[in-house]
Amino acid sequence: MMKELMMALAVLGLAGCTSVQLPADRLEHSEASIRGAEEVGASGVPAARLHLQLAKDQIDTAKKMAAAGEERSVLVLARAESDAELAIGLAREVSVHADALRAAEDLKAVRDRGTP
Amino acid sequence: MKTISTNLLATVALAGLMGACATTAPPQLVEARNAYTASNSGLAAKLTPTELHDAWLVLVKANKEFDEHGDTTMCRDYAYIAQNKLQLADVKARTELDRQKIAEAVKAGVVVRDSQVKSSRAALTSTREQLKEERRDSNAKSAEIEKTAEQLEVEKQARLTAEGRLAGAMKDLAAIAAIKEEARGLVITLSGSILFASNKYALLETAKTKLDQVAEALKAQDGDKRMVVEGHTDSQGSDRINQPLSLNRASAVRDYLVSRGVDSDKITSVGMGSSRPLLDNRNAENRANNRRVEIIIQPSHLSTR
Repeated sequence: MMKELMMALAVLGLAGCTSVQLPADRLEHSEASIRGAEEVGASGVPAARLHLQLAKDQIDTAKKMAAAGEERSVLVLARAESDAELAIGLAREVSVHADALRAAEDLKAVRDRGTP
Repeated sequence: MKTISTNLLATVALAGLMGACATTAPPQLVEARNAYTASNSGLAAKLTPTELHDAWLVLVKANKEFDEHGDTTMCRDYAYIAQNKLQLADVKARTELDRQKIAEAVKAGVVVRDSQVKSSRAALTSTREQLKEERRDSNAKSAEIEKTAEQLEVEKQARLTAEGRLAGAMKDLAAIAAIKEEARGLVITLSGSILFASNKYALLETAKTKLDQVAEALKAQDGDKRMVVEGHTDSQGSDRINQPLSLNRASAVRDYLVSRGVDSDKITSVGMGSSRPLLDNRNAENRANNRRVEIIIQPSHLSTR
């Protein structure tokens, strides 16, 4: 009887520790977004750097929560994903804005050259 | 149009949800709602409607979660994600605007450059035409200079030839006549005895040979100079005889010289009788010297009068 009770408790204990499987495609996408953000120079843009770090932290958190069987891990992964994408957007914005300023300066220079 | 309608419906739905839960909504949700309202009336609505719509879908989930279960972690997670997506929609909208500005600047640059190239080509063409014209002028001037130089050379050679001929003629003339430079001009004096028989004005044959040399010397002179042939006698006999004799002798000499090529318009004759003796007429030698014909080649300043 005692043995059966112990077995039942063990099964229940195992069931309480069952991990949550994070969606592989979303995890992959989030990690790819982080690499993408680093490639476009997010580390050099303060606002982008903040979201990049948040993304990294939240992926780690999501993985730990998933391992601990927490359902919320999927939402935390989605948060990480949104931070990584925002980091890319912010980094690109700075780069493209600099290009726009340069293009305006180039145009002005071309126009000035044409003025005798 | 579809996006605008969707967003309009979304705003209405959002307002309903906000009305239902406004008093207890967590700060993340309130901020997300406000952010959506701002983005939906800003640049994102026009340039990144898809991203804005994505954000709205998440915001709906946050609102629904809040509506059904109140301020839960899930509600806050959705609100957090919605805020990030809204911010991304704004960021992408600003980036798109910058890209449009770049495209416009590049396009305008091409137009300006094209214009400058056209202008430069026109200037280049104009300069080339100018250079061609200047080259033509230069060639014409060179040809003119060359021609002038050739003319000068021809004239120089002609002058040298004339001077040489004059020098030769004057040298030959010096052997048969006295030549003297005076104020009235170059005076060539021929003795009357070698030209005429006594009291005659017909030229002796021997005289003609000598006058041929005189004619050559006169023709070699500057073409503008005028010449006068003066006949002179001694004082023997009356002026009634001497005057016409001296004129006739002068005229005989002039006519012969004209017949030998001296320009008739430039040579005249005059009889001086015995009025201008070289020496006194007391002896035969002096009288012989006084019987003479003088050919005066007038200087240019006298010839032009």
